[in-house]
Amino acid sequence: MRAYLLFAGKRFLQLLAVIFCGISATFLVTHLSPIDPVEQVLGRLSARSNLSPDAIAATRAALTELYGTNQPILQQYFNFWARLLRGDLGPSLLAFPTPSMDLVARALPWTLGLLATSTLFTFIVGNLMGALAGYRPDNPFFRAFGLLSIAIQPIPYYVVAFILLIIFGYYLPILPTNGGFGMDVRPGWTPQFIVSLLQHAILPAASLVLVGFGGWFLGMRALVSNIINDDYVTYAELAGVDRRTVVGSYVIRNAMLPQLTALAMTLGGVFSGTIITEEVFNYPGMGSLLIDAVNYGDYSLVLAVATVSITAVAGAIFIVDLLYPLLDPRIRAE
Amino acid sequence: MISVFRDLIRYNIEFTIGLVLVGLVVAFAALSFISPVDPSLIYLAVPDQPPSAQHWFGTNSRGQDLFWQLSAAFRNSLIFGLTVAVLSRIISITVGLAAGYLGGWVDRVLMFINDIFVSVPIFPILVLFYFVLRSDLDTFTLALIMACLGWPFDARLIRSVARGLKHREFTRHAVFAGMSTRKVLLEEHLPYVMPIVFATFMNNMLWSMALEVTLAVLGFTNLNHPTMGTVLYWSNQHSAIVVGVWWWVVIPVVLIVITFLGLFLLAMSMNEYIDPRSRLRRMGV
Amino acid sequence: MHRRSFLLAGTAAGVLTLAAKGLAFAQEAEGSAPDLAEFPRKETLIIHNPEGVIRNPGWFNNWVVGAGNALSNGLHQLTTDTFWLIDPDAGLEGASENAIYNSLADGLWEYNEDFTEMTVKLKPGIYWSDGVEFTADDVVFTVEKHKATPGLSQNGAYNAQVETVEAVDPYTVHFTLKGPNSRFHTLFSVRWTGAWIMPKHVFENVEDILSFPNDPPVSLGPYTLHSYDPNGTWYIWQRRDDWERTALGMIGEPKPRFIIYRNNISPDNRLIEMRNGNLDMVHDLSPEATFSIIQQDPQIQGWFPGFPYAHPDPTLVMAIFNLQKPLFEDKRVRWALALMLDARAMSMASYRGAATLSAISVPPTGTHPRDFHGPLQDFLINYELDTGSRTIKPYDPDVGLQIAEMVRGQFPDAPTDETAVRNAFGYGWWKQDLQAAEELLTSAGFSKQGNQWMMPDGQPFRFSVMVPTDGVVNRLGAIIAQTWAQNGIGAQVEAASDTWDRQRVGNYDVNISWAVETWGGHPDLSFFLDSYHSEYIKPLGESQPDRNWMRWEDPRLDELIEKIRASDFNDPVGIEYGHEFVKLHLEEMPNIPIMAYNVFSVQSNRYWTGWPNIDRPYANPVTNWSNGRYIFTQITPVEGA
Repeated sequence: MRAYLLFAGKRFLQLLAVIFCGISATFLVTHLSPIDPVEQVLGRLSARSNLSPDAIAATRAALTELYGTNQPILQQYFNFWARLLRGDLGPSLLAFPTPSMDLVARALPWTLGLLATSTLFTFIVGNLMGALAGYRPDNPFFRAFGLLSIAIQPIPYYVVAFILLIIFGYYLPILPTNGGFGMDVRPGWTPQFIVSLLQHAILPAASLVLVGFGGWFLGMRALVSNIINDDYVTYAELAGVDRRTVVGSYVIRNAMLPQLTALAMTLGGVFSGTIITEEVFNYPGMGSLLIDAVNYGDYSLVLAVATVSITAVAGAIFIVDLLYPLLDPRIRAE
Repeated sequence: MISVFRDLIRYNIEFTIGLVLVGLVVAFAALSFISPVDPSLIYLAVPDQPPSAQHWFGTNSRGQDLFWQLSAAFRNSLIFGLTVAVLSRIISITVGLAAGYLGGWVDRVLMFINDIFVSVPIFPILVLFYFVLRSDLDTFTLALIMACLGWPFDARLIRSVARGLKHREFTRHAVFAGMSTRKVLLEEHLPYVMPIVFATFMNNMLWSMALEVTLAVLGFTNLNHPTMGTVLYWSNQHSAIVVGVWWWVVIPVVLIVITFLGLFLLAMSMNEYIDPRSRLRRMGV
Repeated sequence: MHRRSFLLAGTAAGVLTLAAKGLAFAQEAEGSAPDLAEFPRKETLIIHNPEGVIRNPGWFNNWVVGAGNALSNGLHQLTTDTFWLIDPDAGLEGASENAIYNSLADGLWEYNEDFTEMTVKLKPGIYWSDGVEFTADDVVFTVEKHKATPGLSQNGAYNAQVETVEAVDPYTVHFTLKGPNSRFHTLFSVRWTGAWIMPKHVFENVEDILSFPNDPPVSLGPYTLHSYDPNGTWYIWQRRDDWERTALGMIGEPKPRFIIYRNNISPDNRLIEMRNGNLDMVHDLSPEATFSIIQQDPQIQGWFPGFPYAHPDPTLVMAIFNLQKPLFEDKRVRWALALMLDARAMSMASYRGAATLSAISVPPTGTHPRDFHGPLQDFLINYELDTGSRTIKPYDPDVGLQIAEMVRGQFPDAPTDETAVRNAFGYGWWKQDLQAAEELLTSAGFSKQGNQWMMPDGQPFRFSVMVPTDGVVNRLGAIIAQTWAQNGIGAQVEAASDTWDRQRVGNYDVNISWAVETWGGHPDLSFFLDSYHSEYIKPLGESQPDRNWMRWEDPRLDELIEKIRASDFNDPVGIEYGHEFVKLHLEEMPNIPIMAYNVFSVQSNRYWTGWPNIDRPYANPVTNWSNGRYIFTQITPVEGA
């Protein structure tokens, strides 16, 4: 147990270091941008009204003071960390003075929900199916499944989402393709809302599942096909252990370990995929928030989204890393 | 080398299919070198014409012949994928071999950097780069940036192989004989690592091309440079499907699917070949 | 840990996350839920708001800069008001004069002799939606609060121009200005936004205006907020019972009892929703989408009854030269570049032929054809240009007819009548004359080496043409650069996503954008022309105030601007000054005016009818920036719909 806690502690320090470096790098990149948010806002303001050049100059000075963009970059860096540790990511500039954190907090549950449910679904079902397929390589059902996975898996998230959008948006309009829930539904704990929520989540989740499924299925199938040739499995079969126990306790247990590592490695990619899917279906998550922030030149919000993403993904990998020794007795013994 | 090829074609139906598909796409892209029209010009043809004898893939709303446009687009995308794959192989081989062989603090530092790159979600970072560079983000810069983001997974793989090699007899012999570290890595270890490099090369191509399509469709790349993604971008901008110009969407999507499928089959079959257990099982031993 | 418990925990986590999503939004629920059945179509107008995702949906304080709230969700058209509104089209007859509506004001502005003081009389009998009367105290409060609070929209404007403001009596406001300004009243004249008046009785009790969301807003217009989507995709407004006690209500009864604004609708979905009867007004569609929907559904209309359908906005798209770069110093070079272009190709490439061309620096829209294009047509036809070796008459008044012919094959409803053609496609443009262009370039010292033009100093004549990443302007820029490149000019298209920022600091060679925007319904050009004065010119790299993006400096221009400044806004001599400006501009060609920014705005006659169009141009039908509020007093529900 001591060894495990030591390992957890070291890993946690590493997590903090990774987050620190990642966020600092993001800060640097956003502040290197030549876009001045004051000019952005000013541009929008003057496009709509007929402010005289003097008025524009006066407004520019006032906004620069207000946004604090004229401070030296080191100063801004320290302010940033001071605020971050308090949980405040500064005011967003495209919705001044709403705090960036508020905007992210509004969008995050949507992304997390979509991400968590689809990842869990694909991981569990994909691995299960893959294991069964690997165990029974001649079953035609699993063969067909394999072919389907091979066909869909390499296609980029965007293209799959796009194809679904075209099919269900124009040719078979039976599923909603826009937004998080229906226009005339009040959010709340009503069955109507939950149904609408689930309805609107079907297509985005489906595209994520379609792309993600194949990877787990094929990987697991390959792993299992190697494992079933191992001695202990052959021995168990000969000894008359029933099929279910062999698959469940012997094969899947051992194949799950490399898959967990793979899960950790691909979480970053799945997160990106979720963001992309959201953009296609106009799902109100972090994806559209990020794209908007970029287009508005709102580095405060871009930084906020990037910070949360990095923390979330690094944190998730950390949790998986912690789970690993608990599942693998060989490592626990080390 | 030829025998490997022959084996693959003979025993592995997926490899054959993949080869055929990729071959088709490469041939199509190669046609762009003899294109009679300049794909960057607009309004040279009558817009919105369905596929016909004169325009094999029809024309789009920008007045461009879709056949030559797509040919140039796929050529650019394939070159992009190759560039990223080559550049990131160089980085991952260097990092993987060095970390695996040298061990110690070099290993720890490199793996620490590796972990950072793994936990950073790539898409927001790319968007961030676009945010900073805006119009300076041309294709080569993007390829460079993606190469710098695409090496972590494979570096780890190479590192584990290198760690194994470190303790082998021939390595010890080479070291005793006075070979420098660089020579050991390049001449002794590299050939062992090549099969993995090759398989991951394909994967990397897939990954980078997919990312490029995504960025382009959202408008975050140089839009006047025809690639798979920018073709979709423009068709979206002109509401192609709704207006009825379906060939501007369907044909590129079909070609994209063929490309990715082909590359994937190649990658998968080569992965299978590299692992002797699966290779033998495939060959029916 | 056992696999089973792992799986259970995982599923539990998944369910919890789903629940968290729901919870997050349950907490933000506001007002009662709109069931669309609750809003009878005969009494409800559904409008498309072109704003994308609203990041701050529950914010209705439109005096804070950059608050990320929705503005075109009804907040602007239905609740705000100020002294005057100037219409981009002709305005309602009887309710407006010279396109000027007296909204809160009870008459026009009154200046003193030297334009250093302005007095405004206010209309009595106007009430805020909570029953408090609107008086001069509200105006005084608004101005003084803005002056004292940086971050409010008019803070800079009031501080720069207003010395003092006082309420002489409850219905009279008197301003003392910091300097003579014959156009001070334009601050309170709306052409998208203006200096809106705040309700004193609400805001005087607010501690920090910058963080006050003003939800629900106290309205000065005939509608109040009914409900809105906490995620910011729809807003529903309900007509006040005392709607006659507002400036708009005094003009006419706004017919819809409910108005719903919906935003964040993708271009494809707009078409679908309108076809399904869920949208009455759409702000804009792509040209192709417009053509297809009008052909499919006869109940849907655009501005023109036939091709080109689109409404020309009072914004003039042009090729802007960066005059602070030596490339474009010589006006012969600028003219040469203009003569290399083919108006028909530009129209086809950008708008598929649905472009309204203008050769002069005034947009061909609103009442300008009556005041500028028409009267100057003869001047243009006879306009002579010296190419260095001969004199030519470069103007072609029949370009519109040629374009109409070109599109008639695909669009048989393109106009044939000459007046209709001029209204739709413009009064004419320059003929493409490559030889004259060559002569002009040669006389400017340029020489041709092979197919490449060289500058007098031996350098190849090369520059980049900056365009936005998508849209009509992008297509226009591409064809312009292509045409120049095909004729030996090293022009390359450069698509940038930050064209406005770069234009502002002069970081471009040629920019396809606009440096001219006018009132539209009123002939006064000071809206853009005043900023062309040399006192505002900044060196390269510094932020240039709107709108002299080409940084054109000319003492004759300054003289003209000062004459305008000294004259009254409504003085008819203003039109003469406008003509003088046009002629000066033609001589110097600091930018190449091309076409109006046409918006493919469509309305459906399924449930409501009476929309403005070319035959009845009482308002601009776009749903965000124009004075669309007047449309609500003119439309009627369709019987039996």
